[in-house]
Amino acid sequence: MFALRGIAVSLTFFVLVYCLLSAIVAIVWRSLRLLHASARSLAALLFALRVLPLAASVVVTFAFVVPSFQLLEPRSIDIDEGIGAMPLALGIGALLLIACGCFRVIAAQTKTSRVVARWLEGANPLHVDAGAQTEAQTVAFRSRRETPPLTLVGVRRPRVLVSESTVALLSHDELRIALKHELAHMQSRDNLKKLVFRFCPFPGMAKLESAWSQAAELAADDAAVSNVDDAVDLAAALVKLSRLVPVQAAPVCTVGFVTGSISARVARLLTWNEDEARKAQTMRIRPWYAIPPMVVTLLCVFATYGPALALTHEVTEWLVR
Amino acid sequence: MTKAFSIFGSGSKPQLGPFEQQLLQELWSHGSATVRELLADGRIHQAYTTVMTTVDRLYKKGLLDRIAEGRAFRYTPRHTPEELQRVTALESIRQLLGSGEASSLPLSYLVEALSTHDAQLLDELQLLVERKRRELQSRETKGRESKTRERR
Repeated sequence: MFALRGIAVSLTFFVLVYCLLSAIVAIVWRSLRLLHASARSLAALLFALRVLPLAASVVVTFAFVVPSFQLLEPRSIDIDEGIGAMPLALGIGALLLIACGCFRVIAAQTKTSRVVARWLEGANPLHVDAGAQTEAQTVAFRSRRETPPLTLVGVRRPRVLVSESTVALLSHDELRIALKHELAHMQSRDNLKKLVFRFCPFPGMAKLESAWSQAAELAADDAAVSNVDDAVDLAAALVKLSRLVPVQAAPVCTVGFVTGSISARVARLLTWNEDEARKAQTMRIRPWYAIPPMVVTLLCVFATYGPALALTHEVTEWLVR
Repeated sequence: MTKAFSIFGSGSKPQLGPFEQQLLQELWSHGSATVRELLADGRIHQAYTTVMTTVDRLYKKGLLDRIAEGRAFRYTPRHTPEELQRVTALESIRQLLGSGEASSLPLSYLVEALSTHDAQLLDELQLLVERKRRELQSRETKGRESKTRERR
């Protein structure tokens, strides 16, 4: 009973923190648009914000709830405390939430694998030099099947699929720069990020995910382009491939080249200039900016860990009773 | 928002008179305003009572909110231009889908219209790309010519 009660209380805390933070994130993420940051930084911030509820609820559960229950809950067999209606209901809710997340991830992976296997039938490696970023020839495939024009597929072994019509339609430079765009998605592990989104469902997050997707596209454009000619080639490829977009929707673990607002991306590429790109680089929010606040937070946690555990246990008691 | 549906006719534009549209535009640019503030700009050449009646009509159509301010009202648009456009488009699509005997027919017209629109947009974007390319090529040619001249 002790263990069951512990699990129920931990799951209750998990679901409460997750739902509360998700609701806050669903409301406040729009304020990030006011931030003058590069597309790459914006995409990273939106991703961090999207997964924050899940990460924070896991940390709170394992760092506070489980230890407080283990250390402060009396284990005496004489005291037969029940699980309590609320922890039981919320615990079941948490299990359903986790099960739903797992199901969505497995379904997305299975569907993607099935579709990608079909697309890869009869595909040949494509030999295009997409620059020093990654060896494109090892990951790009020319597909004979009806595939999207240009798309990054898979999570564990990501590959870029290029349709026959894309190869025929684009010039060498356009194809090279379009591949660089997809390789930028590969380097930022965008397919894995999409899969993580599937694991943490919450109503009202679709717009945040769509904003992340748009920012990720712009970030990949920025990563691919290094001069005005590249920008024009990428814009030309985008316009040409927009005419080839298939009617059927692509599976989750894929990132298509023709995604987001095409006119906005083309307009942005046609006004590309080196100074602006350099300025955007300086406006990047680096990951190590998060180190000082994290260190301060950790110090605060260490300093107040005992009282925090006691407080958590008090809340646990209130929940159970 | 649902009350705003009533002002939309079968067309794609809301059934608003030209003066109503002008007042709505003015209110969007102001954010919120009283009748006196609207007239103070000098862009509206109508009598105070005419403006007051028209603004009141927009309020009754559900397009404006108002709060009492002294003896007058301060009016605020209830929707942004984008929201109003979205509702107009949605209502038009809804009416279109509900108009035919076979429900699939209007949808196919819509897909056709959207495809035409997309194709037009892509044509325009293609032109922009080609123009930029020509611009870059001419700049390159000029650069090369000036270098040759300097060498001479």
